Amino acid sequence: MFCSAIRNILKNSQNAAKYGAISPQLRNLRGQGVAQSEVQVFKSPDIIAQQNDKETEPATQDSFKEVALDFGNREAHVPSFNLAAYVNKSSTLQQFISLGVDLHSIERRKGLGQFVLQLDFEKNVKPFITFLVDQGISPDDFGRMFTKNPLLFKEDLDDLQTRVDYLKSKRFSDEARQRILTHNPYWLMFSTRRVDRRLGYFQKEFRLSGHDLRLLATREPNVVTYNMEHLRKSVFTLREEMGFSPKELSALVVRKPRLMMIPPDDLVERFSYIHQDMGLSHAQIVQCPELLASREFRLRERHEFLKLLGRAQYDPQKDMYISPKTIVEGNNFYFVRNVAKSDFETFDLFLRTR
Amino acid sequence: MALTKVYNAATAFKNLGGVLNVYKPAGMKVKHVRNAILNNICKGLNKMEQREPGKLREGRFLGTGTAADPVLHNIAFQTDQSDHVLSAGPRYLPRDLSCSTVSSLGDHTSGVLLFGINRGTGQSSSIRKSRPVRVYHITGRLGSATENHLPDSRVTMRANHRHVSADRISGLAASIQASHQRKMFELCGVDLQTQEAYELACKGLLRPADESQPVVYGIRLVHFERPHFTLELHSINETQEYLVALVHDLALELRTAAHCSQLRCVRHAHFDVRDSLLRNSWHLPGIIKNLRHQRDILRAHNQQHRVELKAIH
Repeated sequence: MFCSAIRNILKNSQNAAKYGAISPQLRNLRGQGVAQSEVQVFKSPDIIAQQNDKETEPATQDSFKEVALDFGNREAHVPSFNLAAYVNKSSTLQQFISLGVDLHSIERRKGLGQFVLQLDFEKNVKPFITFLVDQGISPDDFGRMFTKNPLLFKEDLDDLQTRVDYLKSKRFSDEARQRILTHNPYWLMFSTRRVDRRLGYFQKEFRLSGHDLRLLATREPNVVTYNMEHLRKSVFTLREEMGFSPKELSALVVRKPRLMMIPPDDLVERFSYIHQDMGLSHAQIVQCPELLASREFRLRERHEFLKLLGRAQYDPQKDMYISPKTIVEGNNFYFVRNVAKSDFETFDLFLRTR
Repeated sequence: MALTKVYNAATAFKNLGGVLNVYKPAGMKVKHVRNAILNNICKGLNKMEQREPGKLREGRFLGTGTAADPVLHNIAFQTDQSDHVLSAGPRYLPRDLSCSTVSSLGDHTSGVLLFGINRGTGQSSSIRKSRPVRVYHITGRLGSATENHLPDSRVTMRANHRHVSADRISGLAASIQASHQRKMFELCGVDLQTQEAYELACKGLLRPADESQPVVYGIRLVHFERPHFTLELHSINETQEYLVALVHDLALELRTAAHCSQLRCVRHAHFDVRDSLLRNSWHLPGIIKNLRHQRDILRAHNQQHRVELKAIH
């Protein structure tokens, strides 16, 4: 049986050259196979089968043990698809795990697995951790930050210090800087010139004051490092397709910078529902940008439920006014009880008729 | 049956099987519903108590003959970090679950959509093979016909509909139903006025043998409010295209034009829209509760599913 197993392995190895890495072990196995066959030749065939088994079993066990050991060593130099294969060998990776870094999601991105594997914790990682602690970032966020952007360790520490100093010079407060660094781990990858250009773009595009610009960057730090092409497209959509005036646009963007990161098609769909079906004016939408940030089906089911109850009245001049902001607030239960002032069974039944 | 709280993901996974009754929202593809359900199940499972990472095997280090070495000895009793959730990835992935739809619904159709999950895939295929009747509520809008008979495309025709009354729609619906019943017997090759046809009819519903032909068993008007009318339709092997075309033809027969404003599947076999899982409860506890509920329904009606199929020649 053992011999046939070896034969199978050999057959496979002939078929595929990619098994080159285990060929020394195969040679080893082949040697053992020969030794075993010699044993069998040496024994006369008259001997009872049971005895033969007893003789061969220890031999096979030994060889299995050796094979297992060989495969254990193999982990160190044979390429693997996963970082998990190296975790038990590498103290850096173990440290990463104790920090809460998700190695699984790192290895799925191209080139990052290789990069992380070459890091040395003491030399490459520790200085960055001290740097981040100096910036006042809580250690709980390290795992998430390094998972998102392991390439931070490639940067020069002096550069990082310059970038933080740039933020200081632009009078971002301590809390603002902490928020920016924790919420957007990519921010520090951008050179001061590039960040400056982008902040300048927002300031010029929406005619923002320094305070508003800081507010925008702190509210949604991801906007500043977002893809410029996407940003231009959504700003075009907001201005030209939806027709917000420059003043309304700047108010909208400062209140909800995330709108610029939503795909323009979705944004237009939501806007047309809010503006045409719910009948809210531009000014009302600017008052409550959360409407544009919530998904269309959610708006639709809530608005239609209110309409069914006869409570969809968004004009503050009249009785029974319902603030548009409260429509998108909270979960369904909160909405049904406090805004629609109905019960959950009715809402369920209503949803089943759509 | 006593219910116990479960905190362990493995136990929850073991109990995750059966037929699931989901309320599919209109405008969402079946594929997207399926992915949302599977992703939510996995998200729920991964949030529960996970299996601890295993211990490193001792045998690996004994071989080197340095078991006395304190460092190696320590390693041997450490946990296997490569089995940690952070290095090996989440324990449950959508592809670990098997899922099959009993029968599909069109994009614009809302309502009951049945999934077989894990060991429920077998049940789902047996439901599919028994070819149960599906009941639809179809709302049409009189006055305008559109290119694909649905509200989201170009209007191709407008017509007056003042002459249309509830009686006329009901009458036409009844005649459509009668002609479909007659067609079934004709396809079987029996004359309607014979003993053979009588015996066939005694055995219950005459079902098609394959999925090729849509068959309508019943159609009636349930609601009429000037531009809108709602039909209740019982059928097998229907598709969304067939249903919307039926509404279009019905309107032409009434000397007017109409398109379908809403299609809703209210019942599929014994699975009613009232027990279906709404989008706001597509999470693990909701899904498991629904699976349990559908299992009771299936158990109560088990006999009906083994209907002998009658072939149409």
